[in-house]
Amino acid sequence: MAELDFERRLERLFADFTELPDATAFAERVERRLDAGWTARRWLIGAAGVVGGVVGASQLMMSNVFQRVETAEDSAHMFSSSLSHITTSANWVATVANTGTVVWVAAGLAALMMGFVLTRVIGEI
Amino acid sequence: MPGLTNTRFASLHDVELCALAATGERRAFGELVRRHGSAVRGVLRRMGAQGAEADDVAQDAFLTAFERIAEFRGEGTFAAWVKKIAARLYLRRLQKDRRLTAIASETIEEEAEIPHGDTDAAIDLEEALKVLSAAERLCVSMCFGAGLSHTEAAEALNLPLGTVKSHVKRGLEKLRTRLAPEDGAVLEGRRGNG
Repeated sequence: MAELDFERRLERLFADFTELPDATAFAERVERRLDAGWTARRWLIGAAGVVGGVVGASQLMMSNVFQRVETAEDSAHMFSSSLSHITTSANWVATVANTGTVVWVAAGLAALMMGFVLTRVIGEI
Repeated sequence: MPGLTNTRFASLHDVELCALAATGERRAFGELVRRHGSAVRGVLRRMGAQGAEADDVAQDAFLTAFERIAEFRGEGTFAAWVKKIAARLYLRRLQKDRRLTAIASETIEEEAEIPHGDTDAAIDLEEALKVLSAAERLCVSMCFGAGLSHTEAAEALNLPLGTVKSHVKRGLEKLRTRLAPEDGAVLEGRRGNG
């Protein structure tokens, strides 16, 4: 029991500390080192970004990207010309629909159907 | 406005400051250093580190703590956590300089009789620790100052658990003989602001 008491007392003694006179200066030194570390890290990240950018750009140049762009451009031209053909056909259909012929044909067919139905009904009666 | 910022941090609890520091707020961490810097430096000095060396290790300990602040779960106090980090860093430094081997290989030998504490004069802990061998001082300070368990201390010192326990036991015996019986008034008078 006395041993335990002494150990507790020792723990209290160890926990006691006198504020050192240069406590603020010490904290400022730590803060300065933190700031310096932060700045160094930012520079490092920036430098890594520049190096990565340069490597990426050089890889782009080395992989015949311009030639591929030209090929893609030709393909785009071909695609747009095919597209214009389709557009022309679509325009013809639209023109026919716009003249009103379709309406008259449909009306005639409807009258024919009505006549046919009427003759069938009279025949049944 | 750093002055205003520091005033704002001064009113916050350690846990709140730790949470802010975890988001990268270095000024919040600076406030923690201001609060606990002396305690951490004190433990290192009691472990046997000299003034400048203790300050260097304490600085490194706080920088390590900032790097690992996300690992601090708030289970113990922030000061206790940093003290453990500082103790381990100091041991690593001793190992690097091959000083730890010399301390660890100290043989336990009978020493001259230690004068008993004078009950009339208050003998402070620093003075009492001086009568301990380097190994005893290190083990006692690690266990009672830095809050390491015997097992943790043995692992950090790379010593068998039994050796650490015997260093602590002998150290405690010497301290008990050396330290004056507890006098509430004297102790209260000596209490710091920790």
